[in-house]
Amino acid sequence: MSFLTIENIKKSFDNETVLHSLNLSIKEGEFITLLGPSGCGKSTLLRTIAGLIHQDEGKIHIDGKDVTEVKPKDRQVGMVFQSYALFPNMTVQENIEFGLKMKKLDKETVKQNAAKIVELVELTGKEKSYPRELSGGQQQRVALARSLVTRPKVLLLDEPLSALDAQIRKNLQKQLRSIQQELNMTTILVTHDQEEAMAVSDYVYIMNKGQIAQSGTPHEIYTRPVNEFVARFIGNYNVLTREEVSNLFKGEKNFKNKMYAIRPEAFSEDRILDGYEISGKIQKTSMLGNITRFELEANHVSFIADRLHKIDEDAQKQETKTLYLNRKDVIPLS
Amino acid sequence: MILKRMNGMFLISIIPFFILVLLFLFVPLFFMLYSSFQGDGGSGFTFKQYLEIFQNTYYHQAFKNSIIISFFSSLIAIGLAVFATYSITLFSKKIQDRILVFANLTANFAGIPLAFAFIVILGNSGLFTLLFKHFGWDLLNSFNLYSWSGLVLIYIYFQLPLAVMLIYPVYQGIQAQWKESAALLGASPLQFWLRIGGPIILPSIAGTFSILFANAMGAYASAFALTGSTYNLVTIRIGALTTGDIFARPELGSAIATLLGVTLVVALLINEWLTRRIRRDLS
Repeated sequence: MSFLTIENIKKSFDNETVLHSLNLSIKEGEFITLLGPSGCGKSTLLRTIAGLIHQDEGKIHIDGKDVTEVKPKDRQVGMVFQSYALFPNMTVQENIEFGLKMKKLDKETVKQNAAKIVELVELTGKEKSYPRELSGGQQQRVALARSLVTRPKVLLLDEPLSALDAQIRKNLQKQLRSIQQELNMTTILVTHDQEEAMAVSDYVYIMNKGQIAQSGTPHEIYTRPVNEFVARFIGNYNVLTREEVSNLFKGEKNFKNKMYAIRPEAFSEDRILDGYEISGKIQKTSMLGNITRFELEANHVSFIADRLHKIDEDAQKQETKTLYLNRKDVIPLS
Repeated sequence: MILKRMNGMFLISIIPFFILVLLFLFVPLFFMLYSSFQGDGGSGFTFKQYLEIFQNTYYHQAFKNSIIISFFSSLIAIGLAVFATYSITLFSKKIQDRILVFANLTANFAGIPLAFAFIVILGNSGLFTLLFKHFGWDLLNSFNLYSWSGLVLIYIYFQLPLAVMLIYPVYQGIQAQWKESAALLGASPLQFWLRIGGPIILPSIAGTFSILFANAMGAYASAFALTGSTYNLVTIRIGALTTGDIFARPELGSAIATLLGVTLVVALLINEWLTRRIRRDLS
C-alpha cells in the first residue's frame, strides 16, 4: 500500500517543461532518493510535494489524503534545505521548538519533545547556541531536528549534505539513515551524489530531463543500468558501442544492442569458465585509495578495469594484462 | 615583488582621498571643537559658550524642535518605507530598478528647490490650494505649509525616498528558504514577519532610522527657505550665528554644532542599545 503517490505531475517554467507526467509511489517508512544531475527536475519535484511549487497537472496523495491543493503548512511534510535555512535570530532550542509552538502545543509538551529530538540528533549542550556559533554539520542537525520534531508524515531532504565536507557528510549519512529507521519516517532525499544515494536509500529514482530514467534498489540500479544515461551517471562504467564490444571480444558477433556497459570491477585476473578473455596493454595506472585503476587498450578499444589495491603493485606501463569477464557482466543498454 | 608594487600603487592612489578627508572632515571638526571652547572673537579658552546654551531657553527650544521634527519625520518615513519597500520587492526586477531610480532622484530633491516646489504647489497661492478652493475646499483652514505641519511634510518628503533606498537591500537579505521553512512548520506570513523576518531586519531598520534622524537634524536649507528664521531649529540657529543675523558669533555656533553632534552620537548609542536588547543573538 503506497503512503505517498504522485500521479502524472507536470510542471513547466516559461514554456520549458521541467517535469514530464511523473509517477512515483512510496511505501510508509521507506527512504527513497531522487538522483540526477543539476537541472533534471528533482528539486522541483520535491518542492511540488512540499507545496512550495504548484504543479500544472497531476495529483499528490499523502497517507490516503489528496493534498494537491493543500497549503504547505497543512501538508504535514518537513523539509531540510541545503542552506540549512535556520532562523538566525533564534537559538537551537527556539529553532527546534518553532514548529511545535506554531501547533500551539502546551509548554511542557513543547519542551519534552524538543529535548527528545535534541538528544536524538546529538546536540545536547548546544541548546542555547545561535546558528552562527555552530559548524555546518551541527547546523544541518538542527535543521533536521527542527523538521523531525513536528513528526511530519513525509520528510523531504533537498541536498542536505552537499555543503559539508566529505568526512562530516559520511558521518551524517549514517546518522540520517539510523534516525530515519528509528522513527520509521517516510523520507525523500534529493541528491546528485550517487554514492550518497546508494549508501542511504531503500529505493532510488534516477531522473533525467524531467523524467524518471530508471528506478530500483541501489543494487539493481548499480548492477543493471538500463540505458546509457544511467550507466554514465551512476559510476565509472565502461560504456561501449556495439562495434567496440565486438572488437574487444575478438569479433564476437552476438551483440545486438547499440550500446553496452561493463563495470570496471567486473574484470578479473582469474580465469572465468565460459567467460570472455581479453588481453590489453596498460596505458595508465592510478591509485584510488583502496582500488587500483588500470586504463587499458585492447584491439583499439580503450577501457578501464579496477582491482583491489595490492601492497606490492607490480604492473608496468605498456605491460600486457590478461583479464576475464563473465558474459552476464556485459550489460546491454537501451 | 609584484604584490609589493601593487600595495605601493594602492597607497599612492589612496593618498588624495586621505588628504580630502583630512581637509574637509577632520580640519573643520577640529576647528569647530577648538572654536566652541573660545570666547567671542577668539578670546581664550572658556566654557562660556556651552554655559550660555545650557542657560538660554531659546536654544533649549531649538534643540527640542529639531529633535521632535527629526524624530517624528524619521519615524513616519521609516514606518511608510518598511511597507512601501516590501511592496516594491514584490514587483518584477525591471520595475524595481525603475522605482529605485525614481527614489534616488526624489531623495536628492531637497533644500531650497524642494521648499519652492512645495510653495508652488501647496503655498498660500499654490496650485493645489487654489484648485481645491475652486472646488469649494479651503485647504488653508486645515493646513498651513509655513507651519510645523508643513515643515514635517517637507521633511517626510525627502526622508521617505532615502529610507526606501536604504531599506531596499535589507529585504534582499531575507532568504526565501526562511519563509518556506516557516510555512512548512505551520507559520502564517504574519507569524513569519513577527517572529523571524521582523527581528532579522530590525537592526538595519534601526540603523536606517539613525541615518534619517541625523539627516533631519542636519537639514537646513528646506526649513530656512520655507520659514525663514522664524522657526527655531538648531541648524537655523547655527546658520544665523555664523552668517550673522545681527552679530556673527561663530564660537557660539560651533558650540551648538558640537552639541548637535553629541545629540546624534547619543541617539545612535540608544538605538544600538535597544537593538541589542531585542536581538540577543547579536550581542
